[in-house]
Amino acid sequence: MADLAITRSALAFAQSLARLLALFGGVVVLCMGIVTCLSVTGRALSGIGLGPITGDFELVELGCAVAVFSFLPWCQVTRAHMRVDLIGPLVPESLYRWLGWLGDLVLTAFLALLLWRLWLGFGERFPYGTAPVRELLGFGPPPFYTETTYELQLPMWIAYGISALGMALAVLVSVIMLFQSARPGARQTGAPL
Amino acid sequence: MTGLAAAGMGLAALVLLLALRVPIAAAMGVVGFCGTWAVIGTPAAGLSQLKTLSFDSFASHSLSIIPLFLLMGQVATRSGISAALYQAAADWVGHRRGGLAMATVAASAGFGAICGSSLATASTVGQVALPEMRARGYDEGLSTGVLAAGGTLGILIPPSIVLVIYAILTEQNIVKMFAAAFIPGLLAALGYLIAVALIVRVRPKAAERSARLPIAARWRSLGRVWPAAAIFGLVMGGMIGDWDWGRTGTQALFTPTEGAAVGALAMLAYGVGVGGLRLRGLGDAILETASATGFIFLILLGAQMFNTFLAYTQTPQALAAWVSAQDFAPMVVLVGMLLLYLCLGCVMDSLSMILLTVPVFFPIIAELDFGMAPQDIAIWFGILVLIVVEVGLITPPVGLNLFIINRLAPDVPIRATYLGVLPFLAADMVRVALLLALPGLTLWAVHWIG
Repeated sequence: MADLAITRSALAFAQSLARLLALFGGVVVLCMGIVTCLSVTGRALSGIGLGPITGDFELVELGCAVAVFSFLPWCQVTRAHMRVDLIGPLVPESLYRWLGWLGDLVLTAFLALLLWRLWLGFGERFPYGTAPVRELLGFGPPPFYTETTYELQLPMWIAYGISALGMALAVLVSVIMLFQSARPGARQTGAPL
Repeated sequence: MTGLAAAGMGLAALVLLLALRVPIAAAMGVVGFCGTWAVIGTPAAGLSQLKTLSFDSFASHSLSIIPLFLLMGQVATRSGISAALYQAAADWVGHRRGGLAMATVAASAGFGAICGSSLATASTVGQVALPEMRARGYDEGLSTGVLAAGGTLGILIPPSIVLVIYAILTEQNIVKMFAAAFIPGLLAALGYLIAVALIVRVRPKAAERSARLPIAARWRSLGRVWPAAAIFGLVMGGMIGDWDWGRTGTQALFTPTEGAAVGALAMLAYGVGVGGLRLRGLGDAILETASATGFIFLILLGAQMFNTFLAYTQTPQALAAWVSAQDFAPMVVLVGMLLLYLCLGCVMDSLSMILLTVPVFFPIIAELDFGMAPQDIAIWFGILVLIVVEVGLITPPVGLNLFIINRLAPDVPIRATYLGVLPFLAADMVRVALLLALPGLTLWAVHWIG
């Protein structure tokens, strides 16, 4: 039973990380709002020499991706992912719980698939690192040129990196919760929201 | 394997996974990935696409409207706006029989105008309205039923998250979709008011009267709803209005996405400045936004993977061609679809239903001849679908609004809530029939804004 104590404290740690990352994502959303508002104001006042912010569109786009990936671990913590409740009233409680765990397993596998591919996508944009290090990280050769955004020339690997970080934490939380919910009596269904 | 057979097997696998309680996003994603693999015979294309698919789908300017509107709604729920709305409505109509239930409808409609989500509307208005109605001895089923039904106004009256997603899926103009939802939204509120009036006429015991307030006090409390009115006016006015003063045609002040940003910041400014919002409340609002945003975007991604698979099998086109070759009456097909949504709504949430079905149904509807312009059909169909999927929120056994309200009123048996919501379901059905028969009700506002 010692391993349960370990997963419990690991879960608590991962949950507080997830909360922090979600709050960071919220700040990103607020910044997207501020950039947009400044841009709208500037455009409306173009008559007196103001104008929209350069690159507002791409800042909002990158911000949206970074925010959503930062939200995913917290989404995992709160079990916010919607399920269909077709068989709920028909099967015994124990089977219902077990199916819920199976669903968590498939979700974890799906997130792991997304993380794996996103990590490689990050590697294809990350220009640094010697060949052995890159191989160790699972990356191929460095890109010929650094992919950047159109207007502000922001390197794409930064946003990809933060996104991969969020995804990794989501997978981590999900895996720990799999061990936790294998415990009889563990909470299986969070109501949506 | 033919495309149609592959699609059939994929759909069967999806239904099986969903029935086994796999989260909808994961079920659609996994079936989509494996299905594409099966159809093209190699996973390489899917794997290579996945390196950028998740990031590219989330890095979307048009989708950024979702976290912003969600945050706006979450901040609104913590800024005392719902209490002001409810108080004003109760002061005006509370002395009528069933007045507090009518006030609940009005407050839900008002709150729906600044919040794009039904669950948030139901729970926020519920927190203020439920104690009042219970204290006045209102019938328990009437109290919970009207709250659950009123919550659906949150998503019908713009801004609306589900409408945004429908517009993106079918490449329609979000502003026009919002405009189209306006009259159906008001009709919904009106229908619920009539339902309340009929209930208390049949069963006068269901509701007590409150004392009539002097007119000056009523105006004072109406004055307190200005933030909701101002923010709704700012967001909608900026999107729809002509801000170039008629010089070079209509020129809106901002796009819907920008409008969401303006609305979120305006709401935040009000919340912090007047509504008593502190750092902890903002943190809670962000965390709620995080959960909702996360699950919505993951479902969007899963649906995209599933629809990629369906597109490879060419099923949507084949199905659309088949339906139009059968020479069904267009109305029959449409009504059949709406009935299917009503059934699906009993076990599924609205967003997943739309993401799963619209890519298949929309091409069919677009093929049929309703005697309208294609854009009008798309908008009309969207509003009808929005209403019937919202009905799913208040139909047993998985009406999410019912559960939310039930959690606020644990002493009311869920059976009473199920029964209490029935008259409002009837009002919904009448409204759907009305909008089906008279497309002009939906399209008038669209044509009016041009």
